Amino acid sequence: MEDIKIEDKKLGFWYSEWGFIVFVMALATGIFGGTHLYYTYHVGAFNDLAVVALLEAGLKGGGFGAAAAFGGAFLFARVIEGPLVGILDIGGSLQTGVGIGIPALMLGAGFTAPLESFPLALLTGAILGAIIGAVIISIRKFTVDKIDSTFGADIMMGAGNAAGRYLGPLIVISAVMASIPVGLGAIIGAAVFYAYKKPIAGGAILGAMLMGVFFPIQ
Amino acid sequence: MTIVIILKSIIIGALVGFGVGAGAARMFHAPTVQGMGAFRTLGELNACQGDPISHFSFGLGFLFNSWATVIGAGALTQDVEHRIIPNWAAALLLTKNGNVKETLHDPKKMAVAGAIVGAILIPLLNSTAAAVPQSLQNVATKVLVPAANWLINPVMPIIFWLAALDAGKRTGIWGTILGGLAHLIMGNAVPGIVLGILIGKGVDDSGWNKITKTLVTTVIILFVLSGFFRGFDVALLKSMNIGIPQWLINLHKFFGMVVK
Repeated sequence: MEDIKIEDKKLGFWYSEWGFIVFVMALATGIFGGTHLYYTYHVGAFNDLAVVALLEAGLKGGGFGAAAAFGGAFLFARVIEGPLVGILDIGGSLQTGVGIGIPALMLGAGFTAPLESFPLALLTGAILGAIIGAVIISIRKFTVDKIDSTFGADIMMGAGNAAGRYLGPLIVISAVMASIPVGLGAIIGAAVFYAYKKPIAGGAILGAMLMGVFFPIQ
Repeated sequence: MTIVIILKSIIIGALVGFGVGAGAARMFHAPTVQGMGAFRTLGELNACQGDPISHFSFGLGFLFNSWATVIGAGALTQDVEHRIIPNWAAALLLTKNGNVKETLHDPKKMAVAGAIVGAILIPLLNSTAAAVPQSLQNVATKVLVPAANWLINPVMPIIFWLAALDAGKRTGIWGTILGGLAHLIMGNAVPGIVLGILIGKGVDDSGWNKITKTLVTTVIILFVLSGFFRGFDVALLKSMNIGIPQWLINLHKFFGMVVK
């Protein structure tokens, strides 16, 4: 089995379309579970501070409209985009949509049980994941499979790859602006990693952190 | 309470890691196989070039920030799923076998590695309180957060925009219009440019048929709805010094938004 190349065996469960539904279910279940943890213990929401703050505003009595609209719009956009480009963006669709938007919608409607009970939260997440996965696979079936166009997925993949390269220099610039020792650490780290043919982002982070231990910022 | 959080976090972490790992590996086979993750995750995974130390340190860099926000505000940040789990799962596999085709690109191995990373990482993040040294936390927040924010705005919009312009006249025009509008309405041009490339390339390759027309209609509805729900209509009228009609205020109120 090991001597067969991956490219030759893009078949079976792990590459299949129903496999995709299973993976979306697992992820959505976990994310909804994370929101349950946040709802009950105030830890573990799978999102950035700014987005979680939208949900928190609702929990504190400020209305769930903003969180629901924000999460809902992202979910919708990413579910349309995902099957066409071949990559479902989990940040918008699952972390923000399933993790923030749908819970806000439920809480806004006074439907608290799925967030209060852990088993119910997992079940809700699994159902939502199954629906989202199935919708994406059916959009794929009715669009991409029927016409001979990748809808520019190659262009977007190229841009996505190019974006990753910018991170290294950006980290060095950011470190230089944070403080002189941390900046020097990042510069040396980046140079050492480059000399050893490793991506400079990793070296810049390690160098900055190392100097930060001895020369804390502020 | 801590035990309950740890136990629940192990289940959650394993589920999330399983999905993220499999989705990330499938991204390398897109668009023939439906993947999930993010374009930037794919770019960053490629940027580490299959070197386990780079994958590990890249994930580690974001760990402290996630740790700081989860301790402070209970938010794990999107980086846990976008960066830490996929890169650490990759690092775990690559230490044993340096061939990315047999490790990072294999959904089965990445799913298992991701589940292991998740089942350890999530309980750790959720249960520890004050373990992060202050100095490290500061460096991570002060260095990585601005860099990541610049990447999201304006670096990524520019890269995607230029890619749209280089891909032909139609993608360029759609990308520019939808990208600009998305930056106005949604705060970031990338989703708009991506939709512009979708429409432009779709029409280039297959003409104006039912699918491309549906796509354009859906995109217009999406922009109108997200504009409305983010209060863009009101902000637009205000910035042009036009009074806001009462029916519009009532309509927003109906959906739970207060117009000031």
